[in-house]
Amino acid sequence: MGRLTFDAIVVGAGPAGVAAALTMARGGLKVIIIERGRFAGAKNLFGGVFYTHALADVLPDYWERKPPFERPVTEQGYWMLSPDSVIRVMHKSERYRKEPADAYTVLRARFDPWFAEQAVKAGALLITRTTVTRLLKDERERVIGVDTDRPEGSVYAPVVIIAEGVNNLLTRQAGLIASDLPPTHVALAVKEYINLPAKELQARFGLSGPHEGVAIDVFGDVTLGLPGTGFIYTDQSGISIGVGMLLDEFITHRLRPYQVLERFKNHPVIRPYLEGGEVREYGAHLIPEMGYDRMPKLAGDGVMVAGDAAGMVDALHREGTNLAITAGRAAGETTLAAHQQGDFSAAFLNRYRRTLEDSFVLKDMKQYRRMTDFLESSPQFMGTYVNLLNEAALRYFTAHGIPKREMEHDILKMVRERRSFTGVAWDMLKLMRAMRG
Amino acid sequence: MSNNHHMTAPVAEVSLPHVNLDDLIVCLKYYVDEEVAHIRIKDQAICTTCDPKPCLAFCPAHVFETDRQGRVMVSYQACVECGSCRIACPFRNVDWRLPRGGYGVAYKYG
Repeated sequence: MGRLTFDAIVVGAGPAGVAAALTMARGGLKVIIIERGRFAGAKNLFGGVFYTHALADVLPDYWERKPPFERPVTEQGYWMLSPDSVIRVMHKSERYRKEPADAYTVLRARFDPWFAEQAVKAGALLITRTTVTRLLKDERERVIGVDTDRPEGSVYAPVVIIAEGVNNLLTRQAGLIASDLPPTHVALAVKEYINLPAKELQARFGLSGPHEGVAIDVFGDVTLGLPGTGFIYTDQSGISIGVGMLLDEFITHRLRPYQVLERFKNHPVIRPYLEGGEVREYGAHLIPEMGYDRMPKLAGDGVMVAGDAAGMVDALHREGTNLAITAGRAAGETTLAAHQQGDFSAAFLNRYRRTLEDSFVLKDMKQYRRMTDFLESSPQFMGTYVNLLNEAALRYFTAHGIPKREMEHDILKMVRERRSFTGVAWDMLKLMRAMRG
Repeated sequence: MSNNHHMTAPVAEVSLPHVNLDDLIVCLKYYVDEEVAHIRIKDQAICTTCDPKPCLAFCPAHVFETDRQGRVMVSYQACVECGSCRIACPFRNVDWRLPRGGYGVAYKYG
C-alpha cells in the first residue's frame, strides 16, 4: 500500500488549525485536519468572547453561513470586587449594535464544529477521534508527517501545521520550544455554564433582547486579591462564569480552583445574577501566558506552529481566538507559497513569522511582553488597590456628618497606610512600562 | 523592592466554601478509555516523600487522591485534560499523555 500523502497536515481542529486548513483548501491544496476529540471543539473551552475581524479575513461571507454565536457584546467593562462591595466601570454604546458585531459571546463546543465544517466545505478532510502521537522526521530532521493512534496511521506531507493547543507536546518534539511552560507562565481557568431563560437573563443584566449582551471582567476579591481575573459573559440563554489565575498561585496558596469559583458565585454582588440558574457544565483549561519573549520558534523545516501552542494570547484584552485565526491563515498562506516554490525549509517557512510581525498578532504580543511578569511582581494591583477604591467610594458616597475635608484626609491616610505614596508611584510607573512595551 | 507584604486579605485567612465536585463532574460527558490510563504516576516512592502534594489541590477535577500509605491514586476517568499536573508536579512525576482518539471528556458547551 502506498503512503497516505497530503499537501499539508493540520494537527488540531481549533480556530488556528481550521483557519489554516480553510486557507489552504481554498488555495487548492489537499489538506487533512487531524482532531483527537469526537468532533471539532469537543476538547475546547474558553471564557468566551470571540472577535469577528479575524474570521472576516479568512471567511468574508461568514455571516451568511450563520455562525452559532450566543450574543453580540453590546456592553462591556470591569467590575472591581472587594469582599462586600463592587465598583463597576462599564461601557455601553449604540455603536456596538451592528450586524455583524465586532464581538460575540461564544460556546466552543457549538462554534468550533461550525467553523470546521466551513473548512470541510472548502475541501479539507477532517478526521476526528484520532490522536497524533508524534511527528515523523527524515534523516535530516525535517518534519515529513505525523504518526497517529490509528492502525497503520502514519500520514505524510511536506508541511505540518501544529495547532495542538496549550499542551504543546508536538511543538516540543519539533524542537521549536526548549522546555515546558512553567506554572508561572500559564493560567488555569475554571468555568461553569449556567442555564437561565433568556427573558430572565435579559431582565437581570438590563438587556433589551437577544441582540444585546454583556461581557464583564472581574478583578479583586474574585481571585482573593491574587493576580488573575474572573469573568461573567451572557450567552443566549445562560451565563458563562469563571475564574483564572496563574497555575503557580493555585500551587503556592494551595487553592482548589472549583472552590475559588464557588466563592465568587456566592459573593453578595454576584449571587443575585445566578439565582435559580442550573449548572449545565463545568470545565477547566490552561491559558498560555508566556508572553512574547518565551514564545516558541514559529517555523522549522516542514513545520509551523500556531495558536495556543505558540502562546498567542493577549491576556490583558482577553484575546486569543482572533490571534489564532490570523496566525492559522498566515501559516496557510505560507504553505501555499511554499508549494509554489517547492521550498519547505525553515528559512522559507519563516515568512510566516514575518507576516505575523507585521500584523497585530506579534505587535500586541510584543507590546505586552512584560504583563505577566508585572502582575506577578505587583500583586497589590488586584488586592490592595481594588479594596482601597471600594473603601474610598464608600466614604465618598456616605454622608455621616464629617466635614468633606476630613473625609479626603481619611482617604489619603488610608492610601498611605496600605501602600506608601512612593509605592503607588512605583506601581504606576511599572504599569505604564508594562502597557507601553 | 519587595512590595508583596502590602497585600490585604491574606489568602490563608480566607475561608472557601465546600464544593461537592461530583455534582459538577456529573454534568460532564466522558468517553472513558477502560483499557488505557492516560495519566500515570511515574514513581510512587517520589509521591510518598512529596510533602506538599500540590496535585491534591490544584487539579480542577480532583483526579489525585492519597491512600493510607501516602501513595497518590489517579482517577483519570474524571480528567478534563487541562494538563496542569503535567507541568505543575514539583517532581515532574506525572506521566501525562493525550487520551486515545475519541476518548476522554467531550464538552457540550465549552
